[in-house]
Amino acid sequence: MSRLKKALEADKFPVVAELQPPKGIALDNMFSPVGFLKKRVTAFSVPDNEHARLRLSSLAACRLLKEADAEPLLHLTCRDRNRLALESDLLGAAVLGINNVLVVSGDYVTLGDHPQAKPVYDADSVQLLQIAQGLMAGHDSAGLPLNGNPDFFLGAVVIPEADPWVPQLIKFEKKVAAGAQFFITPAVFDLEKFRAFRQSLPPHPIKILASIEILGTEEVAQAKEGKWRQVYSLPPEILQELTAAEAEKVLFKGAEIAGRLLKQLKEENLADGVYLKAQGRADLFTMVLEGGGL
Amino acid sequence: MIIAERKPFAEIKAAVAPYEKILIVGCGTCVAVCLVGGEKEVGLLASQLKLARGLEGKHLEIGEITVERQCDLEFIRPLCDFIADYDAIISMACGAGVQYLGQLCYMRPIFPAVNTAFIGVNEEAGLYSERCLACNNCYLAVTGGICPVTMCPKGLLNGPCGGTINGRCEVDPERECAWTQIYQRLENQGRQEQMREILPLHPHDRRTTSGKVIHPAYKRRYGGHE
Repeated sequence: MSRLKKALEADKFPVVAELQPPKGIALDNMFSPVGFLKKRVTAFSVPDNEHARLRLSSLAACRLLKEADAEPLLHLTCRDRNRLALESDLLGAAVLGINNVLVVSGDYVTLGDHPQAKPVYDADSVQLLQIAQGLMAGHDSAGLPLNGNPDFFLGAVVIPEADPWVPQLIKFEKKVAAGAQFFITPAVFDLEKFRAFRQSLPPHPIKILASIEILGTEEVAQAKEGKWRQVYSLPPEILQELTAAEAEKVLFKGAEIAGRLLKQLKEENLADGVYLKAQGRADLFTMVLEGGGL
Repeated sequence: MIIAERKPFAEIKAAVAPYEKILIVGCGTCVAVCLVGGEKEVGLLASQLKLARGLEGKHLEIGEITVERQCDLEFIRPLCDFIADYDAIISMACGAGVQYLGQLCYMRPIFPAVNTAFIGVNEEAGLYSERCLACNNCYLAVTGGICPVTMCPKGLLNGPCGGTINGRCEVDPERECAWTQIYQRLENQGRQEQMREILPLHPHDRRTTSGKVIHPAYKRRYGGHE
């Protein structure tokens, strides 16, 4: 059974650490935090060509995590595969012992490093959840029976600061109806907005992992220049803290802020767990966890 | 209507470089309305080609004709009377017109002068925008008359993606998010509950082979089945 599922169901406030798969096959950097962190976090998550930029496959990296005795969370994007490939990869994940799956639509190809690639989106994230549910029930998306059913712990994304909110809420509810068992948010910096989000959700037994992120120097520079274009906001006081830091210390300042946010989220019981994005660096993960009192 | 854009002159010129007697065929319908392939544009391309060849000191003879619709046999059949007089054809029609004319005049090489862009509307003079991908499975009844297949770059069928910012599209901030518009349209009509319905996977089999439509009144004539 999924350790992540168990931890969420037992209200253990699990931490999922996001790794950064390489563009290439050199694994050292990606795996450097794993040995150190695997006793401190519940699972490691591997994005699937994040931001439409080519990276080592999430499926392969997740299997390597299993072999390192760590719990993987597979990301599966609708952008790069048609329904046959999605289903085949899901079955493949199951036989490789990977059961935690985060289903995402995927950033559009023109935003990434292969802008001329064909965008697929044969299924959307709601339909992909339905497909995975169908596989669990023993049939593929064409209704044909499977020989051996997989078991998944299915996650999806919800955007707490979406504006307008109602279409996002409808999509959230469709994802729940389609079989999502947990949700992950984009980075949370504005706790006021996150509280409002939690209050606006209808009462679901759905688990929410809030993302805590250490922004890179590029993102901080964008925010400083007023070119911020993210689906989450950065309160002015946090931006001020980040921009006041010396260039080489921006990440450490970010880790300090992340630790503080993590602590508040946990203390106020605003989330059921946390999804950490710390540039894939062991030292930064550690700083955030310590700052958050975990 | 079908919207097209003129190909760069250098590409057209290079494609027909080996030929000395060329017929440029315009189309008087969609591409004439969007100002890329009608009678006027045929004349313009002919002048450009003649000038370019002249500057190179090379001979070129050009015939010009514009038919009502190149996608209709009735209008292109008369070209058969004189097409043999030319070495090559440049068609200024959409992809359908180029292919149909090329099929009829199969003994002569045919070259397109435009890139067919989309099925769209004429917003204002010279301003066209896409509306339909001809998916052969129209969703407009349940999406408030706004097409998610076309207007959402991802073609999502069940609501906005996570990249929408303030109702704008993640792909291009100048564009409105199709699903935000769909929601607002449905809400204005008191039909927002419609958005809760989970739409199933799109039936791509309806357009993965070259399509054919037979009007019900003509099924017997063309051997179609009811």
